[in-house]
Amino acid sequence: MTGAILKVMILGLVRDRGAFAMAFILPPFIFIIFAAIFSGASGDEMRLKVALHDSVMTVETQTLSSALRDEPSLRVQQSSVADEASVRALVLSGDADVGLLIRGDLRGDAAEPPLLVIIDAGRAMTGPILAGQVQRLIAAELPAVALLRSVPAVEELTGGLNQVQKLRLDEGLAQLELQESGQGDAESLVAIEAVAGQTGSENISYYAGAVAVMFLLFSAMQGAATLIEERSSGIIDRVAVGPSGTDVIVLAKFLFLLVQGILQVSLIFLVAWIGYGVDVPGHLVPWMATTVLAAAAAAGLALALASACTTRQQANTVSGFLVLVASAIGGSMVPRFMMPPWLQEIGWFTPNAWAIEAYQGALWRSERLSEMLSSFWPLALAAAVGLILALALSRYRLRIG
Amino acid sequence: MNIIDRAHDKGGAARPPTDPVQVLQVRDLRVGYADKTILNGLDLSIHCGEIFGLLGPNGSGKTTLIRAICGRIRPKSGEIRIAGVPNTRRGAFRNIGLVPQEIALYSHLTVKENLIAFGRLSGLSRRACRRSTEFAIEATHLAAHAETAVHALSGGWKRRANIAAALLHKPSLLILDEPTVGVDVDARNALQDLIRSLGKSGLAVLLTTHDLDQAQMLCRTVGFLRQGVINPCGRPADLLEKEYPGQRLLIVDLYQRASQETRGMLKRLGFVEQRSGFEWSRTIKTSSQDQAGLVRALRQTDLKVKEIRFREPGLDTLFVRLTGQELQP
Repeated sequence: MTGAILKVMILGLVRDRGAFAMAFILPPFIFIIFAAIFSGASGDEMRLKVALHDSVMTVETQTLSSALRDEPSLRVQQSSVADEASVRALVLSGDADVGLLIRGDLRGDAAEPPLLVIIDAGRAMTGPILAGQVQRLIAAELPAVALLRSVPAVEELTGGLNQVQKLRLDEGLAQLELQESGQGDAESLVAIEAVAGQTGSENISYYAGAVAVMFLLFSAMQGAATLIEERSSGIIDRVAVGPSGTDVIVLAKFLFLLVQGILQVSLIFLVAWIGYGVDVPGHLVPWMATTVLAAAAAAGLALALASACTTRQQANTVSGFLVLVASAIGGSMVPRFMMPPWLQEIGWFTPNAWAIEAYQGALWRSERLSEMLSSFWPLALAAAVGLILALALSRYRLRIG
Repeated sequence: MNIIDRAHDKGGAARPPTDPVQVLQVRDLRVGYADKTILNGLDLSIHCGEIFGLLGPNGSGKTTLIRAICGRIRPKSGEIRIAGVPNTRRGAFRNIGLVPQEIALYSHLTVKENLIAFGRLSGLSRRACRRSTEFAIEATHLAAHAETAVHALSGGWKRRANIAAALLHKPSLLILDEPTVGVDVDARNALQDLIRSLGKSGLAVLLTTHDLDQAQMLCRTVGFLRQGVINPCGRPADLLEKEYPGQRLLIVDLYQRASQETRGMLKRLGFVEQRSGFEWSRTIKTSSQDQAGLVRALRQTDLKVKEIRFREPGLDTLFVRLTGQELQP
């Protein structure tokens, strides 16, 4: 009997081209877009477009300009912008993400800083990023300048340098200028080590999971809503007098949504594997376990919602609201670490957060199944509670008409 | 041998019982919600081959009775037996074929695919399901449309497919809820022929309809559901003969709706308002003396009469008398 309903749902999906495309073509497509956006936003591929104007044109400022142009994480216009106003206009119009004005001697001791970063308030994060890059490049390419600019602070702390110390400092500065560029102390002070994921596809795996769980929820809600149509068309009435009652319809739909979900997620991760090198085959068992549980949770919750709603329109409205909110705070749209702590805490009440956590455990941290149980049980619980609620609500609705 | 018999013989499956036994037996059924009583000691029997028309105004409890028969409502008291089996047992429902008022089919599937799906859902094996599908298609004359998607069928053929899906497990009792609603006259006549042939094949049919002409033509017995019980109940001709002995129905059609003043006058003459005041009717003795007197009285009014006609009283006349209202679809 379950097979009969499964066949009905499969034929329904295959014959409804719109629904088929929504289920199996749109998710990988959206994932590719997300992957393109967020692999860049992770930092290593985010290339800020910089408008640069050097009004001083000393050896040091030209060295800095050259270093900025060679910096792979920045896109600095090859020719200097004509004037300061032009830099501001380029930032304002969005033709440049951020601007840099070199308006004084880097060695000078004028009251105002020699470098001024121009930002658009709507892209405030571009300011600190460029300022950090500039300081790093000065430390690497112009170590003498970096040292010279710290001397006043040292003098203030030590009560001033004597004549001998000043002579030694000048000799040291002269030697630094003779050294090759890139020998500064920036790298010796700070180094970066990645604790998980050595393949470079970690961000992609994050967004594969994030997009997958969002579409799992959307598709499950759409699929489960057929329960309401069957109720209003009298199909449930007809089946209810049969030997199986209505339970068989709910259970068959759960199975269908589970299989549909697994296929949907598989397509997304297939694209992630082939297109972006996410190592799915290397973590097949934990990935599959996560996928089955995430699909089951989405199916259970969707069926519970469809059973509780009276009309398809009501189900569409409620499910659209819930899925969007869950996806937003659960990390499907923006990583949760970027959210305020209270929002991160609320996020744990969504299946998105647990599914993404499980996918990260499987593909990013290479965890074993036993280590992933803490992410698995909330998904399993959501699936079980959703399914039981759906069965109970369907029986209740049959009694109240 | 009728079409159902032939189809059953081909299929080799069990026939519905053809001896005049009670297929549906409802005794002293009481159903209510909170302090509201809907069915109040209702009795009903339907036998093999009988087409029973359940009539009553909206809200009289027709749907509640069907839901109680189908086991979806637990009655406060009373007993329902289907083919001798109390409907408190799951097995009793194997004898029910329910045809909801809506087209309870999957519109994206063909007729045949629907029948196979519902056959499987009614517990038939794959093989039995194939045979039953052929039987149902033949019984409802759907062969030419078997491979057509339901959404592409006309209203009448959809209704046939709706009935076919209830015949797959060879029920003894077929419950038809408004089976001809929303179809044209030709389709309605064809559906009536189909229902008649199903009754002749031995199926007990419980039919709810707002089409009282249809009930009069099709049903062997009809029952009026009022105040929670079925009363009166009997053959349409017997009920009408008992209620209107030697009487005819005088109908007055007006060009315009009667004014407040003429309404009062018509009511004093014993007329009952129909069609929102455009039509007035009353029964009248068939003696020419009574008829002439009434027509004379009407001519003395300033009514804009379009037509005065006589006809035999029908179930619609009885319905208005019993319920004080017209049957609204």
